Amino acid sequence: MLARALEAKGLATTSISMVREHTEKVKPPRALFVPFPFGHALGRPDDPALQHRVFRAALDLLAEPAGPVLRDFPDDAEPGVEPPAPTQASAITPAATIPEDPALETAQMRQYHEQWLARSGGRTAFGLSGVPATRFRGVVRFLQAFAAGEDMEMDERPAEVPLPNLIRYCADDWKALYYEARLAMKPGVTGDDVTRWFWSETAAGQVLRRVGKRLEASDDPRWKAAAFGVAR
Amino acid sequence: MPRLDRLPPLNRNNLLMLPVQVNDTAPFTRLARPLSESRLAIVTTAGLHRRDDRPFGPGDQGYRVIPAATPSADIVQSHTSLGFDRVPTMRDLNISFPIDRLREVVARGELGGVAPSHYSFMGALRDLQHIQGETGPEVGRRLRDEGVDAVLITPT
Repeated sequence: MLARALEAKGLATTSISMVREHTEKVKPPRALFVPFPFGHALGRPDDPALQHRVFRAALDLLAEPAGPVLRDFPDDAEPGVEPPAPTQASAITPAATIPEDPALETAQMRQYHEQWLARSGGRTAFGLSGVPATRFRGVVRFLQAFAAGEDMEMDERPAEVPLPNLIRYCADDWKALYYEARLAMKPGVTGDDVTRWFWSETAAGQVLRRVGKRLEASDDPRWKAAAFGVAR
Repeated sequence: MPRLDRLPPLNRNNLLMLPVQVNDTAPFTRLARPLSESRLAIVTTAGLHRRDDRPFGPGDQGYRVIPAATPSADIVQSHTSLGFDRVPTMRDLNISFPIDRLREVVARGELGGVAPSHYSFMGALRDLQHIQGETGPEVGRRLRDEGVDAVLITPT
């Protein structure tokens, strides 16, 4: 759809398609269907050779004289280890023993996250809530209280950001801190390993399950939408 | 993405139930010059933006500008749907925003140049009317004004 809008303005577009069935209907001018799991549009992270093959295959479509064109990227490039779509919290059983104090656990994760930052050159998915990692303890307390059903307001919420949006950003930052800490701890793990660890073994995961449940129980569609993004 | 028949039924049904525009034809602009002389921009629907820019909210049909020189450390993703794995993007931004691959292809002379700005939209939107009628064409005009010939559109 976006491709069509840009093309109509005189640009030649080429798109990477993740859902062939949708692309067949929308008919962008030129699209390359890739067989990779969601979140892997260019193939695999840290695999520039595969990424270049995908990039080049998408560029090659620009030479087509007419369209719409929908081409398949060769199947043999499919990464085998990740599931096609992420495992969700509801499909992961909590472990028998889980740390009791999410704030203490978060403080431990921050140490690993520092290692992540040193290794990644400062690249981090953390930072949507606007609350720095050094003061994230307050966010943890806020989410714990919210999960427990208390009526909470967050002091740092900007007036233009609705509460469910801020809860979503806080939950995303919390996850990012843990996910990247885990990647620093165990660099070889798969994305699915990290997801399963988070929802099964961490106190944060259990708090976010409850945050999701409370949002889901609301009659407000904005709260329900936030729940769909926190835990399902 | 995985072929739909390899997805769990819930994911598959969610996708098949998404409202999708059905078109018979596509607008088509032929590339005006060879690739080796063309300037390319990336337009992503991965919800990426500069760290100090406004995060995307639910249903947000606006766009964000990512100047070509923005360091990867200054880019974050506020499209954080549970429908895709975030770990690949954490490990390597190129997985949805192939900025290093683009620079390498230009350095090899296969492409003419990198656009001064890239653009980003939110993904997984159900209502696209405003993008179709307003913000999409607006980004198209901006790209033309910036001397861009071709666009690579990348999802998450």
